[in-house]
Amino acid sequence: MCGIAGVIYKDKKTHPVGEALTSMLESLQHRGPDSAGYAIYGSLDFPENYYQLNIEVKRKRGALDNLKSLLNQISPIYEEKLIESVGDSDVYKCKIALEEYSLLKPCISEIDDLENVRVINGSHSFEMIKDTGKVKDIAERFDVQSRMGTHGIGHTRFATESGVDRYHAHPYQSYIIPDITVVHNGQITNYWKIRDPLERKGHTFESFNDTECIVHYMADKLDQGYKLEEALDQAVIDLDGPFSILVGTPNGIGIAKDKLGLRPGVMVETDEIFAIASEEMALHDVVDSDQIEQIAPGETRAYTI
Amino acid sequence: MKEYVIDANNMDEKELNRTIKEHAPSYDRLIIDNPESRHNICAGLCEDVEIQINGSAGYFVGTMVNGPRIHINGNAGWFAGDNMTEGELVIEGTAGDGAGQGIYGGTVIVKGNTGSRTGEIMKGGTVIIGGNSGFMTGLLMMGGRLIILGDVTDDVGESIMRGSIYVLGDVKSLGKNALMEMATPEDQKELKETLTEYGFELSDEDYTNFKKIVNIQ
Repeated sequence: MCGIAGVIYKDKKTHPVGEALTSMLESLQHRGPDSAGYAIYGSLDFPENYYQLNIEVKRKRGALDNLKSLLNQISPIYEEKLIESVGDSDVYKCKIALEEYSLLKPCISEIDDLENVRVINGSHSFEMIKDTGKVKDIAERFDVQSRMGTHGIGHTRFATESGVDRYHAHPYQSYIIPDITVVHNGQITNYWKIRDPLERKGHTFESFNDTECIVHYMADKLDQGYKLEEALDQAVIDLDGPFSILVGTPNGIGIAKDKLGLRPGVMVETDEIFAIASEEMALHDVVDSDQIEQIAPGETRAYTI
Repeated sequence: MKEYVIDANNMDEKELNRTIKEHAPSYDRLIIDNPESRHNICAGLCEDVEIQINGSAGYFVGTMVNGPRIHINGNAGWFAGDNMTEGELVIEGTAGDGAGQGIYGGTVIVKGNTGSRTGEIMKGGTVIIGGNSGFMTGLLMMGGRLIILGDVTDDVGESIMRGSIYVLGDVKSLGKNALMEMATPEDQKELKETLTEYGFELSDEDYTNFKKIVNIQ
């Protein structure tokens, strides 16, 4: 079990997405107790080619200094913040500039080569917040309630196949094209069949987590010119196993459910809002409506602004 | 009639069910406000009592009950009425997957649409769906009656062994081991008695349009 939630406001204006997703994820806490995360779009108002990096830094002498020293060789650090977290490490958040988007992934790889640090993500138009622990604690730790945005996706995780740590918390991000994220409830059983062709195309995998595979798959399809709805439809055909996949892009969110409908997904849509969740109780946190739709096996739903 | 109101606001599942079970023997009707789609409401309740849930229930509402008459003024999540042996579960709104799963007796009624696998592995009793029902309706059915007033999608009666599925609307496709014929006059009479009892108003012509899906002998 895992809990997924997504919300998008149709007026394209910013709303308290952090607060909305936190309420939804707290309602879904029972579906996944070990970690949680958010991708909140529209929360960073960065000029072109400015990026936010979230980096896990172990509390070891020199680790943060070495990181900053490397970062300064790559770009000036325009903003920075160290957020105290759990375990043996904290999260260092900073704003940097690169000449072009294609330099972001190499920059992340270079930082990852340092000892005692690991990049959680790098983004331009959305803010990634993910950590181990309960939703309430993570929301307080990262001040999620104050985050405004146009839309976002979130997740409560019940780890089944891979480790419980900050990196393996959802959402996962792909760098094939900018700012694509995925949260996922389920298992992809033809993992290698999906991963192999993506690797042959040169896409880099950092883990054996199936959600990472899905986010690269989705980003690859979007890169080929598929619309979000089309990419989700193709995912239902290509991916095997039980899953509900929730995808975030810079201008939309969408869900795909496996052909047999073995993982839950419900949604509600009004004139103002389009929301998706694992269970109805999370939808009531953002919409006062009992017009709840069950997402059918093999069905996809998406909304873009 | 002796009534007792339970405000489920700020109660966890166990506390809510404990409160229901504590009061069920002493009252005729329990009214549950603010259920907030909590799971397992009334799980294992074995009292002859009316339960009125004002709002939506989550997964497994009325699971393993024997006797209560539960009325939900809202929607329900997955597996509503699962493994019921006796009693009644009425859902005014919609239900998720597996409504009426595995029931041995009693009646589960969903006024709106349901998700997939409605009435799967049911062994007895009656499940009535006022709207449409999804994929693999009546999967592995072993007995009882499953009545759908709307349409059903693919693989109806997949691997059905016993029991009957009646559909008034369209059937997209049948599952393995399923056979479809028109309902007989005896079936129609029985359907009319049951549906009238639960407030469904159909014309006489409607009753002649029911299809009956059973296992291939």
